Amino acid sequence: MPTRRPAAALALAAGLVVIAGGATGLLLTRHSTPAMRPAAVGVGAVPAPTGPIVAAFPAPTGPIVAVSQSAAPKPVAAPVSLTIPLIGVQTNLMTLGLGRDGTLQVPSPNMVSVAGWYTGSPRPGAIGSSIIVGHIDGDAGNVKGVFYRLRQLSAGDKIYVKRSDGTLVEFRVTSVQQYLKDHFPTEAVYGPVPDPELRLITCGGAYDRATHHYLSNIVVYATEVS
Amino acid sequence: MKFRRITRRLLMLLAASALLLGIPAAATAFAGSATSGTGWIRLAHLSPNTPAVDVYMYSFDDSKAMIVLRHVAYGTVSPYESVRAGDYSVAMRAAGASATSQPVLSTSVTIAAGHAYTVAGMGPESGLRLQVMDDALTTPPGQALVRVIQASLKQQEVKVTLGSTVLAGSLKFGTVSDYQPVSPGTHTVTVSAGGTDANSSVTLPAGTVHTLVVLDGASGLEIVNLEDASGSGKPPLGGVQTGFGGTAPHGPGSPMPWLVAIGAGSLLALTGGLRLRRNRQLTVRI
Repeated sequence: MPTRRPAAALALAAGLVVIAGGATGLLLTRHSTPAMRPAAVGVGAVPAPTGPIVAAFPAPTGPIVAVSQSAAPKPVAAPVSLTIPLIGVQTNLMTLGLGRDGTLQVPSPNMVSVAGWYTGSPRPGAIGSSIIVGHIDGDAGNVKGVFYRLRQLSAGDKIYVKRSDGTLVEFRVTSVQQYLKDHFPTEAVYGPVPDPELRLITCGGAYDRATHHYLSNIVVYATEVS
Repeated sequence: MKFRRITRRLLMLLAASALLLGIPAAATAFAGSATSGTGWIRLAHLSPNTPAVDVYMYSFDDSKAMIVLRHVAYGTVSPYESVRAGDYSVAMRAAGASATSQPVLSTSVTIAAGHAYTVAGMGPESGLRLQVMDDALTTPPGQALVRVIQASLKQQEVKVTLGSTVLAGSLKFGTVSDYQPVSPGTHTVTVSAGGTDANSSVTLPAGTVHTLVVLDGASGLEIVNLEDASGSGKPPLGGVQTGFGGTAPHGPGSPMPWLVAIGAGSLLALTGGLRLRRNRQLTVRI
């Protein structure tokens, strides 16, 4: 019988190790790792771009210019690049349309480091909700997409869009939401708004290995800083 | 004895398989909370014979003005300001008058989250009033919405057409028509009154909301095309497939696998511990 002792002791020790491992895993995963906010200045942070920031409208205080007959809002130039200093995003913008099935086109698997602007949405800085989408990841080997850290943003964070005429428009995040794709709030995301706003969209939540799609979208809502 | 050994082995096997089964982790999505409680407001001076004014906006519980627009002349419409939902008051004073002086007129406005409002000084100077209008923020699929504010004192009543669509048959001075859905594109707006016409070309893309304002111009009528709101004319269907899973799973996983591991570990430790105790008892006995 004494020969059984090592096996029993081993089982006891192994059991305790597994308990410790399970508890550690449980605690660690309760703090979602990618959601940890980066330091305001840190590795991977890119500087805010410089350039003329052109307010689309006069400031809310002070004399405002009378709207003349040709008062259609001055058209703004098309967006060419996007910078989000806090999460190290600095990317050119490609143009995206709708696919045949009516869904929004996305950059191809070999373009996961580039974000795109939906040409059917208002231009960033014009009145309305402008749509920019980017991948969270690539299809293999832990490749991170341009919006891998998008969910780390929170209210008040800054976003810059540069336009083809060299002007820069600054946005500030108002909220970050996660929606199941089956319950995507089309009206809230794509519907009309009365001021210049931006929506950044990527994937999030659980990944369904059967359909090769994430089950949720993360949407960052931002408004222009005037 | 043999029976017990088999039981123990079965227990250990059970613990080990529970451990293995629990490993594939499933990430869970957290439901998005409600969006921020803000609405929008814009201020306008649409009274033809009223001199320029200073427009003040106050939060209901704060005597310090939140927004001040100075020297707002007839025909001016401000851009929208995003404000927290709640009760506000809007006051007009003669341009340059002290901020503490008695306002010429004021009104209260309740701003609901996700809604937009226009507060405009309307009518003739003798009967000046502040009118609160609800502004539309949704369009029928693939269409544009348009309405008309009649702010011309020269013509008491106007007829407004957009292409062949009648937007307002006889719109009285100081009133606003309901929004109407129209097909998107560039149209000719015609305002006719008293045998005279004013024309203007307006572009109304799908998914946009517009207000046309009829003003007294230097000579004749003027038509101002305001863009109230804009979105995607063709909203994409459903969600966006912006990931290929290369970094999945990375969200906060389900707690189940970890709980199963803890349970299995406990079972294993308990079995081992019991056995150890039994062995010790046996040793002592010998």
